[in-house]
Amino acid sequence: MAVIEVSGMTKSYAGQPVLNGVSFSVEEGEIFGILGPNGAGKTTAVECVEGLRRPDGGSARVLGLDPGKDGRRLRELIGVQLQHTQLPENIKVWEALDLYASFYARPRDWRELLEQWGLADKRDARFGKLSGGQKQRLFIALALVGGPKVAFLDELTTGLDPQARRATWEVIKRVRDGGVTVVLVSHFMDEVEELCDRVAVVDRGKVVAVDTPSGLIDGVDAEHQMRFTLMTGDSADLAALLGDLPGVSGVSRTGDQVVVTGRGDFATAVTAALARHQLLVADLRIGRRTLDDAFIALTGRPFGDHA
Amino acid sequence: MNALAKLTTVELKLLAREPGAMFTILIPLFILVVFGSSITPGDTVLLPMSLAIAVGLVGLYQLPTTLATYRERGVLRRLSTTPVRPTSLLTVQLALQLVLALTACGLLVAVAGTVLRAHVPSSALALTVAFLLGTAAMFAVGLLIAALAPNGRAANGIGVLLYFPMAYLAGLIQPPHQMPPVLRNVGEYTPLGAFRRVLAEVWAGGFPSPVMMAVLAAYALLISLAAARFFRWE
Repeated sequence: MAVIEVSGMTKSYAGQPVLNGVSFSVEEGEIFGILGPNGAGKTTAVECVEGLRRPDGGSARVLGLDPGKDGRRLRELIGVQLQHTQLPENIKVWEALDLYASFYARPRDWRELLEQWGLADKRDARFGKLSGGQKQRLFIALALVGGPKVAFLDELTTGLDPQARRATWEVIKRVRDGGVTVVLVSHFMDEVEELCDRVAVVDRGKVVAVDTPSGLIDGVDAEHQMRFTLMTGDSADLAALLGDLPGVSGVSRTGDQVVVTGRGDFATAVTAALARHQLLVADLRIGRRTLDDAFIALTGRPFGDHA
Repeated sequence: MNALAKLTTVELKLLAREPGAMFTILIPLFILVVFGSSITPGDTVLLPMSLAIAVGLVGLYQLPTTLATYRERGVLRRLSTTPVRPTSLLTVQLALQLVLALTACGLLVAVAGTVLRAHVPSSALALTVAFLLGTAAMFAVGLLIAALAPNGRAANGIGVLLYFPMAYLAGLIQPPHQMPPVLRNVGEYTPLGAFRRVLAEVWAGGFPSPVMMAVLAAYALLISLAAARFFRWE
């Protein structure tokens, strides 16, 4: 069952189009990623879905409600962690959770959330004294304290160290396993690849693809490389031997180090050919295709290139 | 406890933890006590002056800094994703700042009336009307600062920058009779000057004059409308 359905959503700021007809749907119980470079329109799209902004055109339904018209009922059912928001410096962790719990008709027990998010020993600490990771965990706990059916998390690991990011990912998976649908806005490829069940790739205000992370990667026909070291065998005509295989576009050799470049599933053909000619190789490595490759293939330019 | 009560409790705690709030209470009290040593019993000048200073500090400094900081930190925006509307927070803040102004003034009246034996007007109604109108006008200015300032520090700066000329024009820095007549006359019609003037009228044993009440009410209304017009939630 789709909990979010967005179709043809448009939005402009001062004549500059930010969303050019965004459409996607989110299924119940999944972690749905919205991936794109900074300025792609991810946050605007999600804020229209949350009812924080009004789209110029198109439609959005969240849990069967119209964010523009049924905002009040919708806000009871969703939890939101916004990018760039802070709490007052002097509010204590428990006070913030207790306060936000009081906003909802059927809140969760915030003491439980304190435990779950590893904030129990920070119960009486002031917000201003928390580390980046602790603040982020508090924001997630605040997004969940109302007992939402859908949680929106925007750039939740920005500014965290690698260890804190990994820890955050683990708890996000637990949130989904607890039955909450998660919409995750991110510009980190690794985060999306690790966490998301499905991803919408957003570029210049449009959704250019929606698929599982591995589906997106498999769909890419980008050139990649495999490397190996020749151990034994008669290998004088290696270039001719491998160069004609389907998918292979180049073979280069330095001593017994070989690099084969190709597209698609050329690696299988290469290993089969090596076996057929009884060439023994070691240190075989196949360059793994990533979401970065998928992004380049979908948009025609590298991810970091925002121009 | 419902959301509004909880919000009020938390905001009250935050206000109590805010050193600025302490200063808005202590600065006028300090002025009162320092100059209070040289007044004669029954004095009718020092207490209304320190009341105007106290309300001015809350309205021009504490209120706009708090609100602009909340907007800057995204607190208002975060609230708008919950079932509670961010206007509730503004309402609670206004009420608490009013309580802060009342506390500061109550303390001043108590100290001046007992220890310093300054004159305290007997008409509670006249005093209440003067206090409410003056506070409304000063809070309106504070709201306009909060609406226009891009962040908390800017609001703080604008508040401080506005405070001194307004206090001067209101005759709170130099006694009015020593001021150039033009400035004194103009000053009486500034928000803080008009407030000081109605307080002086009350301390002289009368009721605030209709003209001055109208001036303060007009400031309160027009400046709040401007603030509402320019206020941004983010």
